[in-house]
Amino acid sequence: MRTVVTLAAVPAAVLAQAAIVNRLPFDWGAGPDLVVAVVVAVALTTSPAAAAGCGFAAGLAMDVLPPAEHALGRYALVLCLAAYVLALLRRNTGAGGSLDGRTSVWAVTGTVAATALGVGLGYAAIGLLMGDPRVSLAAVVVNTLVGTALTALVAPLVAFPLLRTREALSDDGYPTVQGPVPSGRW
Amino acid sequence: MFRDSSRSRLILAVLLAAAVALLVLDARPGGDPVTSAVRAGGELVFAPAAAGVDGATAPAAALYDGLRRSSGSSDRVAELEQANADLKDQLRAARIDEQRAKQLDELLGLAGLGGYEIVAARAVTHVTARGYADTVTIDAGTESGVRPDMTVINGSGLVGRVTEAGPRTATVMLATDVKSAVGARLEATRKIGVVNGGTVPGGPDAELTLELFDLEAPVESGDRVVTLGSHEGAPFVPGVPIGTVDDVQVAPGALSRIAGITPAVDFSSLDVVGVVVRGPDEDPRDSVLPPRPDKGDRS
Repeated sequence: MRTVVTLAAVPAAVLAQAAIVNRLPFDWGAGPDLVVAVVVAVALTTSPAAAAGCGFAAGLAMDVLPPAEHALGRYALVLCLAAYVLALLRRNTGAGGSLDGRTSVWAVTGTVAATALGVGLGYAAIGLLMGDPRVSLAAVVVNTLVGTALTALVAPLVAFPLLRTREALSDDGYPTVQGPVPSGRW
Repeated sequence: MFRDSSRSRLILAVLLAAAVALLVLDARPGGDPVTSAVRAGGELVFAPAAAGVDGATAPAAALYDGLRRSSGSSDRVAELEQANADLKDQLRAARIDEQRAKQLDELLGLAGLGGYEIVAARAVTHVTARGYADTVTIDAGTESGVRPDMTVINGSGLVGRVTEAGPRTATVMLATDVKSAVGARLEATRKIGVVNGGTVPGGPDAELTLELFDLEAPVESGDRVVTLGSHEGAPFVPGVPIGTVDDVQVAPGALSRIAGITPAVDFSSLDVVGVVVRGPDEDPRDSVLPPRPDKGDRS
C-alpha cells in the first residue's frame, strides 16, 4: 500500500512540477520544487537504498522532461545523494522526528528547507565542475535562497500529508519497504 | 552515524555511477542517440500533460497575469477591481482566444515584413526547476519542421533560438540567457557588435548587453538594434528587432564599447511565438522595425 502511494505521488509531483509550476512566469527565475518535497517525505520513511533509488528516479524524470536545458543525470545525481544521506541520518540518529515516530509539521518543513538548500548548492556545484557559464555567485545565491524559501512554503502542503500517509500505513507493524531491504540491524 | 549495510552502499554507488555516466554522455557536444531517445520518451509524457494543463488553467492563468501586472500598493485595489472585471469577461474562452489571435496577428505582420517563413507555437514552460537557465519550452517540434539552431521571434522582435527539438516540443534559449550571444547591427549606421544575455563584466546592469566592436562609432540611448544575420540564416536570420540602447558606457582602455539594451520583447509574458523555418531571400535591412514615433508602445 505504501508502495502504491509512493508510486503515485512521485510521478504526480514530477509531472506537476514540469507542466504546472514551471509554466508559471516567475520573474525571479526559480520556483518551488515539489520534487524535493516529495523525495524528502519518502526518504524519511524508508531505507537508505530505497530512498536513493527514489531520488534517482525522480531526478532523472526531471532531467528527461522538457525543457532540455541541462545535461541528463545532473539532477538525478544530486537528488539520489540527498535522499540517501537523509534516509541514513534518519535511520541512524532518529533525527527529524519525535520519539513516538510521528513527525511534526515544523520538523518536516525544516528538513525540506535544509534538503532544498543542499540540493540547490549541489546542483550549482555540478554546474561549476562542468563549466556552466550560468553558475555565477550572484545567480547561485538568488536561485538557491528563493528556491529554498518557496520549497519550504509548499512543504506543509506536499511533504507533510505524504509523510503522514506513509507513517499511518506502516502502523500495522509490518512496514512494506519498497526496494531492497537492508540486512542486519534494523 | 553513517553506518549502513554494504548492499545499500553498493546500490548507491551504482546509481551515482549511472548518473555520472549520463552526465558525461549528455554533456558532450553534438547529439547522442541514447539521450535523445530518452528525451523523446520524456516528451511523450510531457506533451499531453502540458496540453491538459493548458485547457484547465486558462482562467487561473489570466488571474495570475492580472495580479502580476499590477504594481504599487496604492492603486492595487482599483487594479484588482479592474482585473476582476476583466476576468469576468475573460472567463469566456473566446476572449482568451481573441488575445492569442491578436498576438498571432502581430507575429504574422512582423514575419510578413521581414519575409520570414514561420511556424507558430506557444510557450508551455517559462522557468526551469532550478532557475539558472532562461529557457522556455514551445509546443512545436520536428513534426512541424522545427530544427535546432532556428530563430524564434514574436510580434515584437527576437525571442531566442531553438537549442533542442523533439518530435512535439522544442527547447528555446532566450536572448537573455547568459549563454546567448547574438550578432547585432545598429539601425541605420550598420555598425556591428554582439548582444549578450545578462551583463558582461564591467557593463551596465541590464537584461541584454551590446558590445560594439568599433570604439569610434556614434551610439546613444534610443538607438535601435536588429540582428545581423548568420551564415545561411542559422541560428539567426537578419533584420529582427532586438531592442533599444539604454545607456552607453565607455570604459577607459576597453577594446569595445558596452551598452545596456532594453529588449523589444517582454520576456515575462511570452505566449505566442514563431519559429523561423526559412529566412528571407535578402536582408530586410531596417524594414521590420516599427516606425519611429511608435517606439514608445511596442508591447
